[in-house]
This record gives sequence, structure tokens and C-alpha cells, in this order.
Amino acid sequence: MNWVALDLSIIGPAIIAGLLVVATHVPLGRAVLDRGIIFIDLAIAQIAGLGVIAANTFGLETDGWMIQIAATSAAILGALLLHWTEKHFAELQEALIGVVFVLAATLSILLLTHNPHGGEQLKDLLVGQILWVSYEQLIPVAVLYLAVLGVWFSVDVLKTHRLTFYLLFALTVTASVQLVGIYLVFATLIIPSLGALAFSKQRQLTIAYLIGSLGYFLGIAFSALWDLPTGAVVVWTLAVLAGLSACIARSVNQKTIGN
Amino acid sequence: MRHLSLLALLLFSATSHAQLEIFSCEPEWSALAKELGGDRVETFSATTGLQDPHHIEARPNLIAKIRNADLVACTGADLESGWLPLLLKRSGNNKIQKGNLGHFMASEHVRLLGIPKQIDRGQGDIHAAGNPHIHTNPKNILRIAKSMSGTLEALDPDNAAFFKENLSNFVARWETALGRWEEKVKPLMGVPVVVYHDSWIYLEDWLKLKQVAVLEEKPGIPPSSGHLAQIITQMKSEPASMIIYAAYQNDKAALWLSNRTNIPIVKLPFTIGGTSDSNDLFSLYESSINLLLKAVPH
Repeated sequence: MNWVALDLSIIGPAIIAGLLVVATHVPLGRAVLDRGIIFIDLAIAQIAGLGVIAANTFGLETDGWMIQIAATSAAILGALLLHWTEKHFAELQEALIGVVFVLAATLSILLLTHNPHGGEQLKDLLVGQILWVSYEQLIPVAVLYLAVLGVWFSVDVLKTHRLTFYLLFALTVTASVQLVGIYLVFATLIIPSLGALAFSKQRQLTIAYLIGSLGYFLGIAFSALWDLPTGAVVVWTLAVLAGLSACIARSVNQKTIGN
Repeated sequence: MRHLSLLALLLFSATSHAQLEIFSCEPEWSALAKELGGDRVETFSATTGLQDPHHIEARPNLIAKIRNADLVACTGADLESGWLPLLLKRSGNNKIQKGNLGHFMASEHVRLLGIPKQIDRGQGDIHAAGNPHIHTNPKNILRIAKSMSGTLEALDPDNAAFFKENLSNFVARWETALGRWEEKVKPLMGVPVVVYHDSWIYLEDWLKLKQVAVLEEKPGIPPSSGHLAQIITQMKSEPASMIIYAAYQNDKAALWLSNRTNIPIVKLPFTIGGTSDSNDLFSLYESSINLLLKAVPH
């Protein structure tokens, strides 16, 4: 046990980053789970990375803002593509997302043979580490996420504005992957909503939010106490909490049926 | 006798809270700081001998340790560029920032090899500052020891005499060992070797090994089949004596080549803790030299 590392000035930014990611990814994740397109985040993140490498290959100096522009525009193009495939091949959407993911990933490898510097940038982009985050870095992300949530809860993106769903998703994931890495993005999208699935419809969002925030809080604290890599511990904490939540939901449901 | 140990205990407890806290990026700098600082320093290494120092997983304890450090002792030359700048930024500790006394980069105290003549993006993850794997030449350790000792003195002037004495003691022992090693390694002179990653140029420079091929065509990128085929052809006409790789690196490419060419592979500890025989700086070089000698044809 290591109580020194359990210090807000050390883990504070990570907790805030986690809460920001939870705030946006839980509602997005419910939609993703509902549609059965759970690998869309991997595909979008990979396309964003591909954008950076492509910009680099075509001679653009990719630093700072240029990386963000390249990544975001690629992610938006990917979103448009996935929206188009959903419209035309709805029943194949999950398989197509998988294909888009491997194509983007392998095209990155092919482009990298003649542009090895992009390798580091790709890694930075896909393997963000939640603990290295600083408060300054969180401000633009917080602004973006507020806007995303504003649109999300004012428009019914799932039924009437499918394109908006894909665009919001692309913007959110491009930012979060750089902040916390692909494992946490995937886990935060899927696991809390999965843990809340057995509860009644109107309770699911609250329960999923609860699992998500508690998972980050406890996970970051555990990683400080036992000196373990933070991202991996948070993923496991989320999973355990979701499991517990599903058990509670089942016993509650059985009681109601018994009565 | 009893009084003496009591006195030692008193002295120890009096100085223990005044110990310099040293955060090192790689175990070799922790080991060196321990040699020079003895019980007046407390060391912590961010990586172990089995981890790739280019990359590191973020743990809260790293921030906790660097926040209270009086000295950060790292290799520099871009080796830790993927994580040290982030960690320094998160530390909120002014003493160890670049330009201050507590910021010690070993590579600034030796002559770097492998500085690219021109930076060409096509060449791979090349370090513009030069090859950072400086500690594989024990002569560099001597130079770095002298600079590090100076830094310790400046950080803790009260213990300056103690650090000076430790340094001259270490230098004497190191020079004796160097003499012994240089006698021992004569059979290695001019021996042709294949390496996995370009991490041994300082060792090769010291031992006069002849590096004839690198498995990674471009540093940091797995070898292509065309490049491997070319190495195999090359090995048929002019075989190398051994294939060298570091304990923390993947052995697949080295094994693959060894299987096809019957050239022995040598896994070197690379740093302290890389193998069970490398527990301090002395045993690191001792065991590395023994491993190399074992592979050399008699």
C-alpha cells in the first residue's frame, strides 16, 4: 500500500479526465450497444490516426494543432463513410465497421514504411495515458464535450439525425482516445451500459453514469495505492462494478417477480 | 564496539532525513548514484532492466516520487522523450526542471556517437541528438560518474567530502575492473556481429566489434522480409559470429535468423536487472563480457 500517491494533485487531473469521458461515452455507448456496432470506436480512432499519418506522408508538418486538424478531419470523413454504409447496407453495418478498422490499421502500416516518424505520432494518438493528463489539456476537451452533450440531449440523434450521431461520435472519440487511450475509451463506452442493462429503462442512464464515475474514482485510487498502471486498473474496476450492478439488478428483479 | 554501532546508528538517523532523493529513469543511473552517494542518497528507478526505456506505463507512484526528488538522473538524448517531459510537467517540482541543478542528463557528459549527418524522415525513429545507449561503454560510466558526483556535491555541500571520497574510491575500483576487462575482451576484437536494434554502438566502439547488420532496418520498426532475406544472403558469404539482442527486446527476429544461419544468439542484460547475474554496474559488464566470450569461436 502506498498512501503517498493518493494525493489529489497527482490523481486529480486523471479523475476529472475520467469524469469527462464518462459524461459523454455513457450515452454514446448506450446507442452503440443498442445498434450492436461496438467496434465503431476502434474504427474511428484508427481512422483518426490514419489521418495524421497520411498528412505526414503528404509532406504536411504535423505538430500541435495540425495533428488535431488532420485527426479530426479524418475521423469526420470516417463518420460520413460509416453513415453512408449504414444507409445502404444496414444489416451489414457491424461487419463493415470491422473491415474499415482493419483496413485503416493496415493502411497505416503501409504508409509508415516510408514515413516512420508517423509511428510515434500514431502511438501518441491511440495510446493516451490518463495519468499524464494536465488541467490545461482538459479545458478544450471540456468545452467540446459540453457542446456534444448539449446537442445530444436536445436532438433525438438516434431516430431523426443519424448523421449527427456519427459526427458527434467521431469528435468525441478523437478527443478521448488521445486523453485516456483506446482501452479506456472502449471500456467506458460499453461496460457501464452493459452493467445497467438489467435495470428498468428509465433507470439505466443513471446507473450507467454511477458505474462509470465510481469505476474511475476507485480504479484511479487503487492504482495509486498498489502502484499499478492506471488505465488497466480502471478497466478492471469498471468491469467488476458492472458485474456487481448486474447481480443487484437480477436479485431486485427476482424479488419483484416473487411479490 | 557497542558504542561505535550506537554512534553509527545516531549518525545514520541524523542524516537519513537529509538524504538526497534521486529519481532515475533507468536502473544504471540509480546504481551509479548509489555507488557515489552511499547512504546519503535514496534512489528510485522508473524502469527496470526488463523494460524498454523508450516507453513506460503511467503509474501514480512515478509522479509521487518525482515530485519529491532533489535530482532526476536520466540518459537524455531523446531516449525518454516519450514520457519524461510529461512527467516533469506533472511533477510541479522546480528543482528538477531542465536548466536547474537537479536535472542531470548523462548523455550531456559524454561524446555521442551515431549523430545523423542529415535528418531524413525516411530513416526511421532516428535520434537527432545521437545514439542514446551510452552506458554500454564502461568508459562512459567513468566520465558520467565524475559529473554526477559534482552534481551531488553541489546539491548537498555538507556532504561534499563524503561524495569526493566515494568518487575516488569508485574511480579506483572501476579503473582496476576496466584494466581486467580490457585484457579479457581481446578475443572479441574485430569479431563480426549482427544486432537486433542499434543499441550497442558504444559497446562495439569499446570492444572493436564489427557490426555487419542490424535486424531492424529502420530503428523502431520491425524488419521487413526483404531486409531479412538480404541479411541471410549476406550471412552466407560473410557469416557473423553472433547475433546480439537486449534482454528487454523480443527475441523472435534473432531466433529466426539464428535458426536459418546457425549463428549463435547472445542475450545481453543491457542494464542492471536485465539478467539475474547483473546486479550492479560491475557485474553488469562482467556478465556481458562473459556472455560475449562464450559465443566467440575459439
